[in-house]
Amino acid sequence: MSEPLDIEALRAEYLNRVFDEKAFELTAEDIAQYSASCGELAPRFINPAHPDFQAPPTMVASLQPYNRLPDGFPEIAGLGMDAGRAVAVFKPIRPGVRLTGKTHMHDIYTKTGRSGRMVFFVKRMEVNGPDGKRLAHADTSTVIREKPES
Amino acid sequence: MPSHIDEVEFGEELPAFNPDTSMNNVKAFVRAAHWFGPRFTDHEAARREGLPGALVPGIMSQGFLAAMIHRWAPEASLHQLDTVFRAPLVVDEPCHINGVVTDIDEEAGEVEIDITVANEAGETRVFGTARARLPGA
Repeated sequence: MSEPLDIEALRAEYLNRVFDEKAFELTAEDIAQYSASCGELAPRFINPAHPDFQAPPTMVASLQPYNRLPDGFPEIAGLGMDAGRAVAVFKPIRPGVRLTGKTHMHDIYTKTGRSGRMVFFVKRMEVNGPDGKRLAHADTSTVIREKPES
Repeated sequence: MPSHIDEVEFGEELPAFNPDTSMNNVKAFVRAAHWFGPRFTDHEAARREGLPGALVPGIMSQGFLAAMIHRWAPEASLHQLDTVFRAPLVVDEPCHINGVVTDIDEEAGEVEIDITVANEAGETRVFGTARARLPGA
């Protein structure tokens, strides 16, 4: 990274603008396996025959948009590290239900330490049901460590 | 194993959970998640990328945290979970998860739980905060 990113300019240009929309549908088989692999024991997550069968709350974090970044977003040297994930679930997600994931850049901020400045990019995918109502959202935080100019 | 909010105590420690980080289990997970990539399923390929070995996907470690809460309180409805990945978890290396109740809102029927994932050396790799609702009495 040769020049520091202009964070305010990035925020002004990219925050809260949907840059990706994708349809998803979770299968009962995938939900049950995802749950079992994570160590879930509750029948509502691992048994498709359970009357309240649903995706575990963190499964929305696995949904991936078509586009990783908005069009025109600056190329950033080096690999960004996956810094964290956050999910919020408002209603259970059931198998076979058509979901729509809309992704926007939710936040861009910095933290400065002894080794320099780190830039955090938080993308949010809002997951809606067929009626357009919000079921959940999932945030992905990526961090880039800027290299000071020598 | 609380089934109601009034059975939860502030500072209560959740039963420790040692999730399955074996290669077979991670492979089953990535198939279900549709997250394919040799960095998760092939130690040698991951090392060629400069990694210490194949990595447990971050979303899987997040899933471990949710599972721990449901194992403690099967009726809990987890509605928020923030997870910070401090360092990667390596496939086939054991890890241990601990959790503690840090807040109880009986009126809202909600508890807050801090959770930490550590490796065999006791180093924190992942930590998070969850909010879950439990039925009232």
